[in-house]
Amino acid sequence: MSEVQLVDIEKRYGTFIAVQKQSLTIHNGEFLVLLGPSGCGKTTILRMIAGLEEITSGDILIANDRVNDKPPKDRDIAMVFQNYGLYPHMTVQQNITYPLKLSGVNRDARDARVKEIANKVELSPLLKRRPSELSGGQRQRVALARAIVRTPKIFLMDEPLSNLDAKLRGTMRAELKHLHHELGATTVYVTHDQMEAMTLASRIAVMDEGRIVQLDTPKKIYSEPANIFVAGFIGSPPMNLIEGKVSNGSFIAPGIKIPISIGNQKNVILGIRPEDIELSDASDSEISGQIYAMELTGDATLITLRNGTSSICARGPADYEAQINAACQLTLRSGARIHLFDKTTGQRLRYKSLTNLLYRKNK
Amino acid sequence: MIKRFYWCVERALLFMISSIILFPILWMFLTAFKLPRDAYSISIIFTPTLNNFLTVFAEPWNLGSMVMNSVIVAGTTVLIAVPCASLAAYSFSRFRVRGRKFLFFLILSTQFIPAVVIVLPFFLMFRDLGLLDTRFALIIVNLAIVTPFVTWMIKGFIDAIPSDSEEAAMIDGASRLRVIRDIVLPMAMPGILTSSIFCFILTWNEFLFALILTRRDAVTLPIGLVSFRTEHGDLWELMSAAGVMITVPIFIMALLIQKHFTRGMTAGAVK
Repeated sequence: MSEVQLVDIEKRYGTFIAVQKQSLTIHNGEFLVLLGPSGCGKTTILRMIAGLEEITSGDILIANDRVNDKPPKDRDIAMVFQNYGLYPHMTVQQNITYPLKLSGVNRDARDARVKEIANKVELSPLLKRRPSELSGGQRQRVALARAIVRTPKIFLMDEPLSNLDAKLRGTMRAELKHLHHELGATTVYVTHDQMEAMTLASRIAVMDEGRIVQLDTPKKIYSEPANIFVAGFIGSPPMNLIEGKVSNGSFIAPGIKIPISIGNQKNVILGIRPEDIELSDASDSEISGQIYAMELTGDATLITLRNGTSSICARGPADYEAQINAACQLTLRSGARIHLFDKTTGQRLRYKSLTNLLYRKNK
Repeated sequence: MIKRFYWCVERALLFMISSIILFPILWMFLTAFKLPRDAYSISIIFTPTLNNFLTVFAEPWNLGSMVMNSVIVAGTTVLIAVPCASLAAYSFSRFRVRGRKFLFFLILSTQFIPAVVIVLPFFLMFRDLGLLDTRFALIIVNLAIVTPFVTWMIKGFIDAIPSDSEEAAMIDGASRLRVIRDIVLPMAMPGILTSSIFCFILTWNEFLFALILTRRDAVTLPIGLVSFRTEHGDLWELMSAAGVMITVPIFIMALLIQKHFTRGMTAGAVK
């Protein structure tokens, strides 16, 4: 069992609260992603688990063992750093074997293990080089190899892919996912990239201002964001968030009228994802306005509509063509998810037992 | 056209300035190989001789014992100051202790005091301890002068080392001391070597304290130079020969260490 429990942990720097008092349990074998914008406290949480940062109050338990006062070396963890943290004066081989050397593994066993790991991450021909003679992706793999050369209780990863170019990031993402499948080790992964979070995580903890605002599976986070922050943070292009009101069974905003089975509400924000909106020919469509911008992404065209203060983005077909400022009608796809948020609290509104309001087309 | 003009002016200025700086050194090297009768001539054509070097090592000058004193004093100072300063520098660089800034300022502030002001108290102290004219006294004084400076210098180098590698080592299972030994020291080595050289040069050239605290047994090279000003006049050719003896070791050391200056300290650690 290598479960990680954070019990009422808090981190302050003077009067500044970096991580608000909260608890979090990371299950055995889980791939938990801490996701949030920079400065939200996600790296601080990771560093507290690692023991690189002291906690102001609370307890950290690794495999039911309280580790608050243990130095990093006694916590049996491995970590991949954003900037890799390689040892520039050592060769790749020495870098990878260093953890084994410290734990007193003899030379022969060490060499055998390094060969095995180097094969796994495709570093075998580079073992005699120094980090300065490697490319970014190769350095990243050395950092990864150094982490997996032992079998620690927990893997901690601090934005390990953020220094790679987009293509390599995609490849390494798949490799990380495969590696986790293979090793089955408890992993805590920090990122600000929602795509990485969605693809890698068993569960995502979305953080904002030192607080976990939603902890759930990627699917749930995407389909049922707990508040406006999560709704806006997850998804690319981001969810449309439109201010308006609900009266007489319809959500109303300039140029927008969407039937909704919820009681009258004054200050609400409607959330709807661009892929849930499509073009319409009907003149009495739910959404109307002028085309403000069109962006071709290759497989689709993102159409942004403006009407007064509202702005809404829809995913149209790749071959869509129109003039800027031309009038345009949009409608909701059948089965589209509609999210409603309270404007003042930012929290998701739940109506009766319904977790999601699904749009049903009128005949 | 104008560019070319500026280029010429620049070169001319550079040439002038470096001539002014280099002339005394050139003069010293030439004079060291001159006969006494040529010492005052500025001609670069003369009959060269190695006699001056033999003379300075013979009686009554005995440069040999001064070389010995200088080597022992400077060497011991470096060997004690640099390890102490490295550890202090690491602590100042990495640990967030209350009053850390003030402490560091205190260390630096020792450098603000003019040596002339404290040379007399030092003299009285060593006289009472019976340590006048000993290498030991010189080493103590030099340590006091040099250690703060070297601490400050090495701290700069350690500050420049990203803490990522250190933290990685701690997570990999290394204790703090092990991290210092395996990671920090090798990465800071170019800086530490540079600082050692500076430390050696400072001690090697130290004049004032050696002048006041030594008389006969512990005299160092710079003081030895003064003894070539005799009642028969200044013996320039001998003084120059001794000057060469002082300069050459430093020069050679700087050459040997040069590759460390140029090598990137932390290349490859990050990104």
